[in-house]
Amino acid sequence: MRNTVLGMASLIVAAGVAATPAQADVGIGLVGGITGGTAALAPEMMKSYQFAVKQVNDQGGIKNGEKLIGVVADDGCNAQTGVDAVTKVVNVSQVVGMAGPWCSGVVLAVANSVTIPAGVVLITPAGTSPQITALKDNDLVFRTVPSDEYQGQVLARTLLARGTTKVALSFINNDYGKGLADAFQKEFVAKGGTVAARAAHEENRASYRTDLAQLAKGGADTLVLIDYGDSSGLTVLRESIENDFFKTYVGGEGMKTTATIKTIGSKNLANFYVSSPVSEKSQSLEVFASGFKSAGGDPNATFVSTSYDAVFLLALAIEQTGGDKTKISAALRNLVDAAGESIMPGEWAKAKALIAAGKPISYKGASGTLAFDANGDVPGAYALFKVNGDDFQFVTDMK
Amino acid sequence: MDISSFINFFLIPGIILGSIYALGAIGVTLVYAIMRHGHFAHGDLATFGAFMVLLFSASSGLSPYAALPIAAVAAGLMAIAIDWLFYTHLRTLPKIITTISSLGVALMLRAVVQIFWGVNTLSYETGIARPENWFGLRIKPHEVVTVVMVIGLVVALEIFLRHSKWGKAMRAMSDNPDLASLCGIDNRKVIALTWMLVGALCAASGFFLGLNTQVKSLMGWNILLPTFAAAILGGVGRIEGAILGGLIVGICEEMSVLVIRSEYKVLSGFVILLLALLIRPTGLFRGKVL
Amino acid sequence: MNFVTLLNYPIYLLIFISIYGCLTIALNVQWGYAGLFNAGVAGFFAVGAYTSAILTSPAAVGRIGGFSLPVPVGMLGAMLACVVAAWPVGKVCLRFRSDYLAIVSIGVAEAIRLVVRSEEWLTNGSRGIIDIPRPFGDLPYAQSQVAFLGLSCLILLVVYFLVERQLRSPWGRMMRAIRDNETAAQAMGKDVPRRRLEAFILGSALMGLAGALYVHLTRVITPDAIDPMIVTFLVWIMVILGGSGNNRGVLVGALIIWVIWSASELVTDQLPADIALKAKYARMFLVGLLLQVILRLRPEGLLPERVGTAGGSGDLGRTSPEAIAPSEGSDDV
Repeated sequence: MRNTVLGMASLIVAAGVAATPAQADVGIGLVGGITGGTAALAPEMMKSYQFAVKQVNDQGGIKNGEKLIGVVADDGCNAQTGVDAVTKVVNVSQVVGMAGPWCSGVVLAVANSVTIPAGVVLITPAGTSPQITALKDNDLVFRTVPSDEYQGQVLARTLLARGTTKVALSFINNDYGKGLADAFQKEFVAKGGTVAARAAHEENRASYRTDLAQLAKGGADTLVLIDYGDSSGLTVLRESIENDFFKTYVGGEGMKTTATIKTIGSKNLANFYVSSPVSEKSQSLEVFASGFKSAGGDPNATFVSTSYDAVFLLALAIEQTGGDKTKISAALRNLVDAAGESIMPGEWAKAKALIAAGKPISYKGASGTLAFDANGDVPGAYALFKVNGDDFQFVTDMK
Repeated sequence: MDISSFINFFLIPGIILGSIYALGAIGVTLVYAIMRHGHFAHGDLATFGAFMVLLFSASSGLSPYAALPIAAVAAGLMAIAIDWLFYTHLRTLPKIITTISSLGVALMLRAVVQIFWGVNTLSYETGIARPENWFGLRIKPHEVVTVVMVIGLVVALEIFLRHSKWGKAMRAMSDNPDLASLCGIDNRKVIALTWMLVGALCAASGFFLGLNTQVKSLMGWNILLPTFAAAILGGVGRIEGAILGGLIVGICEEMSVLVIRSEYKVLSGFVILLLALLIRPTGLFRGKVL
Repeated sequence: MNFVTLLNYPIYLLIFISIYGCLTIALNVQWGYAGLFNAGVAGFFAVGAYTSAILTSPAAVGRIGGFSLPVPVGMLGAMLACVVAAWPVGKVCLRFRSDYLAIVSIGVAEAIRLVVRSEEWLTNGSRGIIDIPRPFGDLPYAQSQVAFLGLSCLILLVVYFLVERQLRSPWGRMMRAIRDNETAAQAMGKDVPRRRLEAFILGSALMGLAGALYVHLTRVITPDAIDPMIVTFLVWIMVILGGSGNNRGVLVGALIIWVIWSASELVTDQLPADIALKAKYARMFLVGLLLQVILRLRPEGLLPERVGTAGGSGDLGRTSPEAIAPSEGSDDV
């Protein structure tokens, strides 16, 4: 019994030492759902995190050449796992700030119980729930991705502008599905559209044909499907097309996966559209895209530009504050202030020199200008895509 | 709602789902009859079988249908190996210990699938299969195949159990293992044979589930509850009961959206299970009460 | 690096161990002493967590609430809600063999998960409940963690001593008599179904208490927080490893398993992303394998159940071969 306790204690210490960066280096958390619901997005997003860390270290590191250490942790897209993982990142690895988590539910849990009490800044590149806006966060929670509130609204307006006034609404029964569906429905109905039928569905069911039959009874010929394209969304879409329940299908960004095209085949998806947050066309984006591509990443993958921005911006804030975690949140706001000199993604050495000289800088993010509002949210840019060959093709911007 | 859309969108999907549950329930009921414990790794064994089909068809270029027999043998051997490694030495202990052990085996099987294939959704065939119109009935080719093959498997199993030497031995052991042993039946061989059959049935149910939907690591775990509901509803130890139970659970599940919110559709099997336990714990065909 | 902040992690581990300790004692009452196979631990945990969250959180748009009751009331409410949930389940299923209860309890956990996800008026659906009060939550982080650890350990101790006392009373002896030989106990005029139901309800209420503790620790609860299989399986393996029927044993089990589970992640997270992913699943595989190894090599657990005058005269090492696990008595089909 005593031996067991001693063994356990030494295991904790050993694990703690293994996971703690060396003295002088600065640690940041790179948190994300490597397992769980977002596993499909994980490889490219993690690559993007690491790409930003590598650029910082290749161009002189933090301050006097200290390394920026990315402490990777898996939140499993599950609140309990996430709280456990982030507690370790914050208390064992002693990070001064973190990028992630990705799933909104995990962001809420982690912020409430770990990062806000510990005074650590959290920047999520993928947590889109409107509820994150309302967190009482002492200005410690930011995001580089816009809230679904915006996406729901612009999607509703775009559909109405394209002449669709009656839709059926089907969404996955989780935070993402419900949040986006509610935002969409509110705007769509307010602007004169009709939601003829609405139903949530559980993930992981064998068949959704009966659910679809119920939805189709409402008489709409367009189905708005808020789901993930490598999960139940794929089954719903396939069964609906096979049985001609609807003529046109519109999905959120969760449906924008190549798995959908690969499995169903592009010739069957002529009437399938997806909305997705896009990085505003900018020089920043091109710089990031070519750099990320040559580092072996896919710049068109979902949320890679927001992931990159989260890490790069955090590194800039650390450089400016010397790693004092109480000042990072104020620094984040200064760094995107339009008045300073422009910094593109990857221009770490230039930014470092400007900061050393005490000059103001303005980071132009790969995903947009990152003008944080009072809640730490950014306005979004969205576009509508359709299937062309093996990939998605831009149709129109959504306003 | 008119009669044809009722049949097309509620009855036919129900029958397909029911056939898949039935295959699983036969396996559950066989384990109950011969080994006398609940086998919670059943769903994940089905997942394993479904991924074996994927493995063999991808590596050899065979069609998934042709790969099914190989995968069935692989899953059967896996079941025998699991029994030999994890269950054999628990046989003298109370049966419930084996049930707990099977919960651990379920986790291990799932982990193996996730290590090798990840958690992404895969499928046997790409493209879509539009249903053909048979006098107003909209049926997809693989749905016909599913039902025909399930019927074929069940008939073959019945013939085997009723007329072959080993089938009779299995039935004898189900009735009374000690007596069977006294009559010169080698219990160990019968047990191995049972696991072979159970593994093969699991592979088949996993394959048909994957064929009609997608192949993913949690697919089997998700059908565990309706499968057990089907076995218990039909009467534990009764094969014809498992088939009828599977069909009832499948059809009820698909029809449930007519009366309840679709979020709760998943629970139909559970409600049937509760009702069966309350009203007729022996099941429709008077199985064993355990 | 600051040594005091490094202590935060072990403190946090201990908080979780005390919560899991509460769950293992609860399961021990059901399984170790009454032989009931409850595979829906996570479900009762969730009922407790949500009940306490609803009772203690401030008002929010779109769901019932705004009671802002004190935390102890929330905890009592959590236990009460679990009693209400456990009663019909026990009533229906305890008549049957243990694996029927197991499959039904899996279904109950699934049903609870769906209700929590879908009934927005009650639980705010998938968005969950936030702003749940935390005892000592206003203190600085490190102090607040220590204070919470004190609270959770205190609750665990109270639970431990109450359960121990209950099990040494005539009620506890009767429970074991029923578990070990149901027919004999029945012949002696014991009301078997009623006693089993009592054990089931007592265990479920304690699971609800653990859920309440958890929710006041994290201050937020979403349906994703309750993965039905992981929580349940971890608690089971803690009980089996520690020794079913021995409350001290199951606490040791909780300590060992949670430290391995949580600390191993520190190691796997350092691996490159694609290997780290496989390492996560390998971890699940190893936990499953650990259960098999325990069942094979030491099925009675590290600290087996003591027989005789339970605990009284220091009868060390005297373990009953039957203590391996609750037997089903004579109903061997």
